[in-house]
Amino acid sequence: MDENVIKVENLVKYFDGRCVLDGINFDVPQGCIYGLLGRNGAGKTTIIRILLGLEPATRGETSLLGRKSTRLPAKIRGQIGCVAEGHNLIQNYKVSRLIKLCKDLSLNWNDGAFDHLMETFRLPRDRRVRDLSMGMRAQLNLSLAMAIDPELLILDDPTLGLDTVARRQFLELAIDIIQQQGRTILFCSHILSDVERIAERIGILAAGKLVVDCSLEELKTRVKKLRIIFPEYPPEDLYLTEIINRQIQGREMAITVANWNRQKQAILETFKPSSCTEVPMSLEDIFIECTRPDSEPIEAA
Amino acid sequence: MLTLIKREIRDHVVYFFAAVIFSSILISISLTPISESRQHYRAVYGLGVALTITAIVISGFFAMGVGQMYTDKNRKISAFLSTLPVSRSRILIARIVTGTLAILTLIVPQLIVTIILLRLYAPPVPVYSGFIAEVFAGIFLTAFACYCIGLQAGWSSSSIVPAMGGFGLTCILVSLILIKGFGLHIIVILILFIIASLIRIRHLFTSTPL
Repeated sequence: MDENVIKVENLVKYFDGRCVLDGINFDVPQGCIYGLLGRNGAGKTTIIRILLGLEPATRGETSLLGRKSTRLPAKIRGQIGCVAEGHNLIQNYKVSRLIKLCKDLSLNWNDGAFDHLMETFRLPRDRRVRDLSMGMRAQLNLSLAMAIDPELLILDDPTLGLDTVARRQFLELAIDIIQQQGRTILFCSHILSDVERIAERIGILAAGKLVVDCSLEELKTRVKKLRIIFPEYPPEDLYLTEIINRQIQGREMAITVANWNRQKQAILETFKPSSCTEVPMSLEDIFIECTRPDSEPIEAA
Repeated sequence: MLTLIKREIRDHVVYFFAAVIFSSILISISLTPISESRQHYRAVYGLGVALTITAIVISGFFAMGVGQMYTDKNRKISAFLSTLPVSRSRILIARIVTGTLAILTLIVPQLIVTIILLRLYAPPVPVYSGFIAEVFAGIFLTAFACYCIGLQAGWSSSSIVPAMGGFGLTCILVSLILIKGFGLHIIVILILFIIASLIRIRHLFTSTPL
């Protein structure tokens, strides 16, 4: 098997003539936790649906665990745990019936792990799924996905609807899975602090394109925000490449730039700024900068 | 596969109950002797029963097909099942097997009773040896064809118009049988129709985004 558990090649998707995904490429190697970020409607869920074979791609190819998404055999599906956005469980079933159905259909069911999760989340078995709260549904969905000891876990906004305690429990659980060698996780979320806490690699979707695809560490080193104060008005053009964002206010210029290096620093120094200070950036700051409508994609270093 | 079939039966158990009840009514009608005074109404009585059966077969199995697919689409059952180690083809096969079982629940007891009655009492008009097989094969295939149209209408329709179109097609199909009568030619037409329907359902079901 290819060491990349998830492969997305030149993925294009149109909905009613509107381009949602425009040539997306990324790979997720075995054992990696990949955080896929993007604003609402950026196409995160569409990528996951295409990966799972629930939605056809307009162009391009995707594969999971070495098999094309459009032809995933039952054996491969049995190694993938999935928590879908909105937790599309069968609403009119009782929890116990849904559990039995999943258990009977799964190829590998870990009773001990599942019961432990049910107890941790204190989920009732005698109620109908539709009578559960959104948070409880999320917990049930997570428990079902985890019970099969998945090789690959796909989580589409899994913590949506969970309270702080349940979210923390989930993250700890995800970290447990990570610690089991070889597990791979594709994690989409709006809660950037969650992604920052567990993801090793980050992909940021904006305007149908993957504008960032690198490790979290690399992203934080590569993207710099600088506050530059000039003696007079700032120059029209700094002649720097890969400026993601630029804002001018009086003598002050704030720039977010990718792949910051000595060469770029030397170019900046030719403008003789009065001061140049680096502003620390969290993942959330980077995300906001990268998803601005006028931002430029960050190319590989 | 057995789990999927069990799930389908449990979710649509109402159709099985209806089939059992209707089958019992038909058997009761078969076993009820017609009184001497009503002998000359036999033809009218027979026609009435035949038309009632036809109407129930059309609407019942068409409704079952629509119900199975519409419930699935509405409750996103296949979308959930597809995240488990289950292919869409297996979900569809389980669904069709369930439909077939419902049809057999209606027909088989009636077939057994008819065979027993023919053994016990000589029919008023002599019939050829393949008569029973032809008639019951015809009824089964008609019910199955109606069910297939229901499956298509339930999956592809989000409005009432295509569903009514499917229902119209079912009526045409059944009218053809009423006019032409049961026989090998009708069996061949029904088989061809069912094959075409199944291919279309498979294509629709496996290619639509869930």
